[in-house]
Amino acid sequence: MKKLVSRMSIIMASVVLMVSFTACGSNKDSGGGTKSSSGKFASIEELKQKGKIRIGVFADKPPFGYVDSSGKNQGFDVYIARRFAKDLLGDESKVEFVLVDAASRVAYLESNKVDIIMANFTVTDERKQKVDFANPYMKVSFGIVSPDKAPITSIDQLKADGKKLIVAKGTTAETYFTKNNPDIKLLKFDQYTEVFAALKDGRGAAIANDNTEVIAWAKSNPGFTVTIPEFGGQDTIAPAVAKGNTALKDWINTELETLGKEKFIHQAYKETLNKVYGEGFTDSLVIEGGKAQ
Amino acid sequence: MEHSENILLEVKGLEKYYGDTPVLRQINLTVHKGEVVVVLGPSGCGKSTLLRCMNGLEEIQHGDISYQGHSLTKGKTVWREIRQHIGMVFQNYELFPHLTVMDNILLGPLKVQRREKQEARAHAEELLTRVGLLNRKSAYPRELSGGQKQRIAIVRALCMKPEMMLFDEVTASLDPEMVREVLDVILGLARQGMTMIIVTHEMGFARSVGDRIVFMDQGFICEETTPELFFTNPTTERAKQFLDIFQY
Amino acid sequence: MQSLGVEVLFEGSNFERLLGGLGVTITIAFSSIIFSTLSGGIMGLLRTSAPAIIRLLLRVYLEMFRIIPILVWLWVVHFGLTPALQIEVSGEFTSIVVFSLWGAAEVGDLVRGALESLPRHQVETGKALGFSYMQLYRYILIPQAVRRVLPGMINLATRMIKTTSLVVLIGVIEVVKIGQQIIEIGVIKAPNASFWVYGFIFILYFIICYPLSRLAKKYELKWHSL
Repeated sequence: MKKLVSRMSIIMASVVLMVSFTACGSNKDSGGGTKSSSGKFASIEELKQKGKIRIGVFADKPPFGYVDSSGKNQGFDVYIARRFAKDLLGDESKVEFVLVDAASRVAYLESNKVDIIMANFTVTDERKQKVDFANPYMKVSFGIVSPDKAPITSIDQLKADGKKLIVAKGTTAETYFTKNNPDIKLLKFDQYTEVFAALKDGRGAAIANDNTEVIAWAKSNPGFTVTIPEFGGQDTIAPAVAKGNTALKDWINTELETLGKEKFIHQAYKETLNKVYGEGFTDSLVIEGGKAQ
Repeated sequence: MEHSENILLEVKGLEKYYGDTPVLRQINLTVHKGEVVVVLGPSGCGKSTLLRCMNGLEEIQHGDISYQGHSLTKGKTVWREIRQHIGMVFQNYELFPHLTVMDNILLGPLKVQRREKQEARAHAEELLTRVGLLNRKSAYPRELSGGQKQRIAIVRALCMKPEMMLFDEVTASLDPEMVREVLDVILGLARQGMTMIIVTHEMGFARSVGDRIVFMDQGFICEETTPELFFTNPTTERAKQFLDIFQY
Repeated sequence: MQSLGVEVLFEGSNFERLLGGLGVTITIAFSSIIFSTLSGGIMGLLRTSAPAIIRLLLRVYLEMFRIIPILVWLWVVHFGLTPALQIEVSGEFTSIVVFSLWGAAEVGDLVRGALESLPRHQVETGKALGFSYMQLYRYILIPQAVRRVLPGMINLATRMIKTTSLVVLIGVIEVVKIGQQIIEIGVIKAPNASFWVYGFIFILYFIICYPLSRLAKKYELKWHSL
């Protein structure tokens, strides 16, 4: 009994310590996000002096950021990041790629362990509270893939009797149709494999999902085509810098504008995304010059 | 006292408490050089505690213990020094399990007393021969019987060249057939004139080895007399009752 | 044409990369084990002999590592503590620090347990032979404790080696992460790659951990009767 009590008290003490620890941590976040971090990150001049810029990219999310079999970083984000380094520091080899995970992207910026995150980072209001996004270089919206034999070319076609639209449960596409087109019948599955199988054996007329997903799938499944490549709400993907690092953000925006003149993002798409998405969808996915057309 | 120069250990007015519970009360005891004192008494009478006090393993609350005329309770006592003069063997087989018999014996002489290895080893072998265990010197404790372990424990204490030995129920945990071999060793020591205080439940042994019997009960010394008188004609009622238990 | 998948192991420099990742795993695990053993030993001694308040603090320290997942420790130290202290450290460094702190707490507890499991009369016997506290620990208690601690230590070591797969969270690319990278780029070309890559990683872990558990077994048997 006495032992139990002492153990309990120790656990309590630990919990109290831990809570106070995390409380301090969150205090710092909410209280001094910009204040404490200003001056913490390197200025453009300092980056040039150091001759090194740290850019956080994915290591296992092809085709956006991955490591090839010779250990080299590759992908759409990486391709653009290299160009940033070249234009800022004069040499694309001066970029230091930091391999990040989806969950740690914000933390890397907040703790100043990278200068820029370019890891398929979708702009959201929630993230805007914690990091500063530059202008986007890519956009993602919904897309619809349907069989070539019975193509669905407009949303209205799906409202016809007996037509069912296939979606995966918990996706934004599901939410979108439930909210905006309640009259379209949805066929929902948990797994993507079930979703694709259902289209193949004709249980549904089409699949709606993120357009990148359906485009990539249609590319490797002959007989199916993305008939509506872009509709509904649009998410954008942009480089992010630490909150308050306006100088670097402005530099990126100017850079994107300059690159837009030579259609560099299209070039990046061609080099890295073509083999996955095919040529036809460049303009459904790419944002050139930092601004959507 | 007429042989005061012969007094090795003297206990005066010793009191010990565990919290508020008294365990030793008004203990006075004098041990002369070469004397064998056997302490008897029922379980829990305080006899083991008394022995442990003499070796500094227990603190005392009142009174004094002096060794060769030097107080051990007043001022700062370096018990590590005293313990090299007063050897002690316990009831449990307390050999160090990770060391061989020889290393068990030599650890104290070499590390505590920093004696010459050769001299200490020769001494150890001589003592081992005396208890008939020289052939077991490379064995590990787990390979020995209980009786052998206790004999080694005695040798280990003796190898420190103590002037006095304390035996705390050294045969109490032994199988009956092994008691004899251990008592014989102690008896041999008595014959050589080693000063000893022995706590035991072996009445026959107490009678033959002891120069004096100290009978304790409830923390007091009730009787202090010769073995002859104690076993034939005890004066206190408690001692009579105690002896009755052993008389079948 | 779908391939077997086994060839991804030897494609490009994949094989060397996996071994390099294993090197990172081993570096983190073994440096941490060495640091934990040293500091954990001292901690174990303190937990059996230091004043009550220090013992309590060390106990709280241990419970903090038991209650809070290592993942959280890595995160907090790497993204919270070191930036707050304005020191720039690598993910490997943070990993070794966190793993060493964790290991020290666990080794300390093992040592404490071993010392406390030693029979009390070993101490008394030592005292009765005139040993000082230092000598008591050095010649009697620690040698016996080491024998009792060893199986637990080796168990802890294998646990630490396996837990290194968490360090990817703070950007350290060790063997499992490299495996995932290889699997992801081959996912269309060689869907079975994951089987081979994980199979290979399994063998690598086995090669490190198996000798350790054999060693533990051996000493357990040898010292069983002590």
